[in-house]
Formats: sequence, structure tokens, C-alpha cells
Amino acid sequence: MRYEARIPFFLIARHLVRGSKWQLVLIIFLMSIAFINLVFITSLFNGIIKSSNDQIIDTSTGDVYITPNEGHDFIEDSGSTVGSIEDTSGVKAASARMLVPANMKFENKKGNFMTFAIDPENEKEVTIISKKMVSGSYLDADDTDSIILGRQIAGGPDVENISSFKTAKVGDKVTLSFDSIKHEFMIKGIFDTNYIETDYRAFITQKALKKIAPHYNDKATSIAIKIDNKGEEKKIVSRLKDKDLGLSIYPWQDMAGMMKSVEKSFISIDVLLGLVGGMIAAVTIFIVIYIDISNKRQQIGILRAIGIKPYLIRTVYVLQSTFYSVCGVILGTGIFFAVLVPYFKAHPFVLPLGDAILIVNYPDFVLRAEIVIWVAIISGLIPAIFVTRMPMLDEILGK
Amino acid sequence: MGEVKVRALNGVTLTIDEGDFFIITGRNGSGKSTLLHQLGLLDRPDRGMITLQNKNVLKISEKQRSALRLRELGYIFQEYALVAELTALENVMLPAMMLEPSRVCRPRAKDSLEKVGLKDKVNNLPRQLSGGEQQKVAIARALINNPSVLFADEPTANLDSIAAKEILGVFKALNEHDNHTIVMITHEQDETHYANRLINLADGRIS
Repeated sequence: MRYEARIPFFLIARHLVRGSKWQLVLIIFLMSIAFINLVFITSLFNGIIKSSNDQIIDTSTGDVYITPNEGHDFIEDSGSTVGSIEDTSGVKAASARMLVPANMKFENKKGNFMTFAIDPENEKEVTIISKKMVSGSYLDADDTDSIILGRQIAGGPDVENISSFKTAKVGDKVTLSFDSIKHEFMIKGIFDTNYIETDYRAFITQKALKKIAPHYNDKATSIAIKIDNKGEEKKIVSRLKDKDLGLSIYPWQDMAGMMKSVEKSFISIDVLLGLVGGMIAAVTIFIVIYIDISNKRQQIGILRAIGIKPYLIRTVYVLQSTFYSVCGVILGTGIFFAVLVPYFKAHPFVLPLGDAILIVNYPDFVLRAEIVIWVAIISGLIPAIFVTRMPMLDEILGK
Repeated sequence: MGEVKVRALNGVTLTIDEGDFFIITGRNGSGKSTLLHQLGLLDRPDRGMITLQNKNVLKISEKQRSALRLRELGYIFQEYALVAELTALENVMLPAMMLEPSRVCRPRAKDSLEKVGLKDKVNNLPRQLSGGEQQKVAIARALINNPSVLFADEPTANLDSIAAKEILGVFKALNEHDNHTIVMITHEQDETHYANRLINLADGRIS
């Protein structure tokens, strides 16, 4: 017993060193593909979810979002409210927005697009819209006759939105109509955040709104807040609530209604694909090990005939499967991080929810690696048990 | 069509004494391989009794039979039956590694290979050896744990006449000089003169 335990290690070491290198490489490659298959879709879903969440935060809600309390249409004294919010520990910046209930007209086309009046400097601190100008330039605080349009409103060669203006460009004029007010604005810039909901929006300055509709002065319909440290949204919400601002305060997650259900769907699909992927990996590994063992039936019979205990022979195949799968996981991890992640970082999937790259959830990644290894061990053990229980003579004589 | 039951051995009673060179002959299907498999504990008979050193080996567990095969019985197959990925030395060492540390079994395996005339081929893989040399490695492996009995199932069947003669010479030397008990099956009539005891099987009976 003391000495026999080394037999499986002895046999497996010789098998790996002197066996067919091509077969070894192919089996390990196959294991790595089985592993990548398990982690790729999850990482892609993580990427889509993270990307769309980032898009929501960076182009729309900020980290914390404030709306008027129920029964109120506006946040009054928005300027001083923003000041008070910015004084809160952990808050980096805040931007008040007034949703103008306007109809927009360009040439002979009309549309009801969400138009917000903002303080351009504050908005620049909270969202990335200012950095996403694809034509013209961002708003200045003193602009009173300028507007910036999202790409889905302005239109363009690859914009499929039928309600877009299709040919609107910088320098063209659009007319906003609301509350029996009509005002012509010049398109100062066109932005493309790649987040379709934001790209359906237009922005003017608060100064412009004050000029054409003074009754909306210092009013806002929402305030978006950027915080110092991601993940502290709930803490900041709690601090802001303590200030008793008389407003409804939410972390961004509460505003990501559609994305929440998309995320739930992704999790369900991911679990399902994980199960299917796990089964495919199990069957593949089982077939590979089973063929390997079947080819060595006579050798197994000989080993039994010369007195090598069956459990030692089974251990050889368990060790072999473990080796294959661990190497497969290591190779798969290498391919994943050295090839796939950088590739998709350079060439992300372009989705209406935002550009998706591969994002790894490490505990999940480790769990899937463990699944592959355990599946391989079980897939190696089952045929090994089966073969070592066969009549020895049948194995030796190849019956 | 159901399975047809064939009585491969019928009323075979024999005693093999220590130091015998016992040869079993017979036509194909006479039951000689079946007898050797039973004696070598590779198979179990439906009925009967096999006694090794006064112990009925049919009443012991598979684990105990495995231990007996390891310590007391050496088996040489017709088709060499070496592990392809192990060198001659490693093939020979393998059964000894079940019982002894490497520092003991390695020199013993070298001695065993020297005994069969393969001193210079210890590091060769089976594919680098001729059929006769592979069979000698199999003999060395069967000898490594100093078994009470060596069983050889037509060990020269796949060899040319020169290699066959060499193998039989090895058996003869093991029997005469080291007093190894050898039970061997052969088809070849001219090999029977090596035996000090000989039986011929026909239709599962000693004829």
C-alpha cells in the first residue's frame, strides 16, 4: 500500500512524456475549447450588461438620480438644490435638467423628441455626452440659440430610425414649439453615444430656456449626480435623504428598469447555455477518455494480470483526466485573456445598448473551471470503472 | 439463438510440483489455454478446485487473487504484453513497485533483465526491441517478484526459430539453475523435450 500509490503517477508521467504529443495537444485543446465555450457567453452577457449599465450611468442617469416627489412636476430652486447636493460628502458633481415638452421641426419633418435644458458645464461633469460629439461642438453656457442633437434625431447614413430628420447637419436650423412658444435654434453639434435612448435626445442651455420661457427658470425635472466612488450609490442616496430635500432620490439601478429585465433574461439564458455547454463538455470529455481507455483495454487487462490493483488503474485515468482538464483550463484561460478579451476590447460588439466587450466575473470563472475539471474527472472515472470491472481475459484477448 | 454452453475442461486433475517444467500440449480448442488461465488465476472455473500451497484459490476474493498474481505467479503472454510507454527496465520494475521502494526494485529489475540477456537494452522502449527481446522483457517482468510459478502461454508462437530457441533456453536455465516452476503451453512438438512433465489435452480432457 505504501509503495503502490506511486504506480498511477509513474504510469501517467510516462504516458505524458512518451505518449503521442499530437493526441495530447489535441485533447488539451479540445478541453480548452469546452472551457472557453462555458465562459465566453457569460463574459459576453456580463459585457453587455456592464456596457449598458455604464451607458445608462454615463449618458443618462448618473450614479444617483433625483426626481420631484409624487404630485410635483418640477424641482423648484434647482440651482440651490444642485449646490446643496454638491456639498454632500461623496458627491462629485450634479446636473439639473429641465425636460422641455417641445415639438421639434426640421424642414418639413416634425418629431416629439425629448429636449432637455441643461447647464453645459455641470452636465459635462456628470455625463460623457460632451465627449461624444461626432459633428460640430458641445454647448457653451452662453449659447441661447444653439441646440445639440442626438444622432438618432439628426439622422445619417447608418441611422435606421424612420422618425429621424435624416439629413440634419451642423448649421441647420430646427424649430422648437411648446406652450405656444416657437423658437428657432441652430444645430451646434451632433452627438453619438451609441446608447440609443440618449441618442434620441436633444439639449439646449438653461440660459436659452430662460430666454424663451422665463416661467421655467430655475426649475428642473431631474437631477443627475456623479459620485466619487462607484458602488457607494446607496450610501450617497442615504446621505441625500438625510438632507430632507423633499425630492425622490434613487440609485441608478432603480432607473434601469428595462435593463433589469434584460439582465434577468440574460441570467436565465446564461444558466441554460451553461447547462448545455456543461453537458457538451461532459459528453466530449467522456468520449475522448472512453476512446482512449477502449484503445488500452488490452494493456489494462495485462496490468491487472500482473497484479496491479484495479483502483490504481482507475486512478491513472482520473489523474489523466485531471491533467487534461487542468491544462485545458489553463490553455483556455490563456486564449481567453490573451486573445479573446483584447480582441473584443479592440473590436467590441456594437449593440443598441452600447458597445459590449468581454467582462469576467472571477468567482463565476473559477466555478466554471471547477465544473470542467470535475466533469473531466467523472468522465474519466466512469469508463475506467467500467473497463476494470470487465472480465480480465476479455480485455487481454480483446473480446 | 441462445448461448451454447461448452465444457472447455472436463475432469482434469493434475498436480504440479515445485521445480517442474510442465508443458501442456494440444490442438486448438483442446482447452489448454483455458487450463492455463484457470491455473494462473486469470479466470474462474464454474466448478472444481485449484490449490496453491495448500490453499483453495477459488474461495478467495478478487483482491486476494490479485495479490497472489502479484507475489506468487508470473504470467507470460503470447503477444509480449508490454506497456508501450515504459522502457524495458520500467516494464520489469512495474510489478515490483507495488511492493518495494525504487532503490530496491530498480537494481532487481536490472538483474532480472541481465538474467534474460538484455543488460544492454534496459532503456529501450518495446517498439525498439525485436519480438524475441520483448518476450524476454516479459519473462524478466514475470520473474521480478520471485514468483512460485511461471505460466507461459505459447511464448514462442510469434517468434522466429532462433528467438524461440533463445526463449526456451531462458526457461530451461530458470528451471534448472534457479529452480523456478514453469507451466508452459506449446503447439510445437520439438519444444516438449524441455519438459520434465508433459500432458496432452484433447476435448478438455488429459489424453
